Amino acid sequence: MSGQYIAFFVLALIALGGGIFMLNLNKVVHMVVALVFTFVSIAGIYVLLSAEFVAAVQVLIYSGAITIIMLFGIMLTRHQDDGQSTGSPLRKAFALLGTVAFGAVMYIGIRTLDFGSEAVGLHDKNTEQIGIAIYSKYVIPFELASVLLLVALIGAVILAKKDDKEAGE
Amino acid sequence: MDFETLLSYEWGVMMPEFIILGVAVALSLIDLFMPENRSRRLLGLFAFVGVAVSFVSLLGLWTSDVTSILGDTFRLDSFAKSFKALLLIGSALVLLLALHYEPKERIAYRGEFYYLFLTALLGAMMMTSSGDLITLFIGLELLSLSSYILVAIRKKHTLANEAALKYVITGSIATAITLFGMSYIFGFTGSTNIKEIAGQLASTYDENHQYILSLAFLLTFVGLSFKLAAAPFHMWAPDVYQGATTPVVSFLSVVSKTAGFVIVLRVIVSVFAQTPSGSSASMLMTLAPYIAFLAGATMIIGNTIALRQRNVKRMLAYSSVAHAGYVLVALASLSMFMFEAIWFYLLAYLFMTIGAFAILQVVSQHHDDEDVSIFAGLYRRSPLMAIAMTIFLLSLAGIPGTAGFIGKMNIFLGAFVVEPAHYVLASIMVVTTVVSYVYYFGIFVQMFFRPVEHTHRLEWPPGVIAVVVICVIGTVLLGVFPNIAYDFLAPFEHFSDFLQ
Repeated sequence: MSGQYIAFFVLALIALGGGIFMLNLNKVVHMVVALVFTFVSIAGIYVLLSAEFVAAVQVLIYSGAITIIMLFGIMLTRHQDDGQSTGSPLRKAFALLGTVAFGAVMYIGIRTLDFGSEAVGLHDKNTEQIGIAIYSKYVIPFELASVLLLVALIGAVILAKKDDKEAGE
Repeated sequence: MDFETLLSYEWGVMMPEFIILGVAVALSLIDLFMPENRSRRLLGLFAFVGVAVSFVSLLGLWTSDVTSILGDTFRLDSFAKSFKALLLIGSALVLLLALHYEPKERIAYRGEFYYLFLTALLGAMMMTSSGDLITLFIGLELLSLSSYILVAIRKKHTLANEAALKYVITGSIATAITLFGMSYIFGFTGSTNIKEIAGQLASTYDENHQYILSLAFLLTFVGLSFKLAAAPFHMWAPDVYQGATTPVVSFLSVVSKTAGFVIVLRVIVSVFAQTPSGSSASMLMTLAPYIAFLAGATMIIGNTIALRQRNVKRMLAYSSVAHAGYVLVALASLSMFMFEAIWFYLLAYLFMTIGAFAILQVVSQHHDDEDVSIFAGLYRRSPLMAIAMTIFLLSLAGIPGTAGFIGKMNIFLGAFVVEPAHYVLASIMVVTTVVSYVYYFGIFVQMFFRPVEHTHRLEWPPGVIAVVVICVIGTVLLGVFPNIAYDFLAPFEHFSDFLQ
């Protein structure tokens, strides 16, 4: 068992644990903290995969920006902290059964999976390679993604904006 | 790559997309600087003209050769052209409907409606002409995100809020599942280019990979079938149809569904059709029974639950689920003429569905209600519209002489020409079609035999009349002379350039 393997297991465990805690905690701020653990450990997994640039972006955008925006959202909106239990026990049992079955099916598939030879030279000039790919070969999806962000922005404004009548009150 | 090489590509083939994008951006700027109390109808007209111009430019490219830009991140082939035409015709008709949509509760964001509509259309169009998983995925997300907001735009309406939330959550889960499936496809081949993926998978056959590759296939397909509203992933459809405004619903049921089939054909057929499999010629054929099962379930669930609906929009939602099932039969049988059959069915579906929604919009707006009883005595009040509605419903039910019949016939025959023939699937199709008569004919009974409750005259705005006339002509003409539509596909030689 190599060091990389152990590191992957630790990071994956933290990522999954963060997700599970996020679902089960009752206070919204606690959920955000749990989510930060997931984000940071995913950044760690990117480093293991020699994707340092993506890891840095992950930390900056997810652990930084998105978490802060979530906290702002929590501060600026009203919310009840009372934990409501959702679904009947039978439903929960079915959900558990489904998840376990899906996990088993996928595990059988990936247990002996071999993707062939590993790509080499992933870490030299990481950022430059990504930049060249985005701004030359993938320029069409890149521009389309900017339209996507515009749509998200307009949508957020529409949904969050108070109408004139309400604002006047 | 320097600037010269970038300029050397034939960007002209992207003209229809550029026009839509330009109009969307221009509309958002005009909306910003327009005085707040001015009517936004002008913007709608502008959007309509933009879609029309884009359609004309597409017709100008109709006979051009297969063109690929930047390693297939954009490709214009016969598949792209024919399905783009469907999307543009459908969007133009829906925009005409939207111009005359005046609900009781004032919707403050009309300007936003038009440019979000255009960006959704842009996403769908990009999907039709993409040979790369990244462009396909971003196109899908652009379409989905815009549709979520289009549903949620009715802010004061409780049902719409609930519908939008359900739509966002199920849609995001579907996206996650699709991406998970695609990540395995990428992992095997190390490429996002669909042609390269197909080539890689075709050249290397490995027993160990079969299992996980079929899992990747199923995950991708399950994720994408949310977009088609195929059972058992149709749960969002009735709620969203009930909550959203009528123009948005007709957009979702026609344009969004067409786009869903486009991405299924692009990803599933082109990636898996040539992949060798242990027991039969290709992986797609080995896995076709799963698609067939989904098709059968979709037809049965859609048609039987529609029987119990009193709300016309919910009924049409389940009917659209059932129609997705019919189209999936064509995909499951994998006949020679699969592309033509699906294209023709979606064209027929476009005319009959938008026509029915146009009439529903005026009638339900008048009564401020969506119960089936609003159609009571429609024949006495506006006989011509009642006859038009009859034609659309007959076509949806698949009665001979209408476009819907020809479409179903093509799919039905397609299920028999393949070896081995899909007898079970074909018989489910016949039985469920007969079941569907019951709920379509329920509306006839209301229109022709129920007494008139309200004697107010219905106002038919000119745009809605235009949509109804176009849809009636389309439905009847394609039902009597289906060759008119096939002549458009003649230069394409059965979509032989799909994978070139």
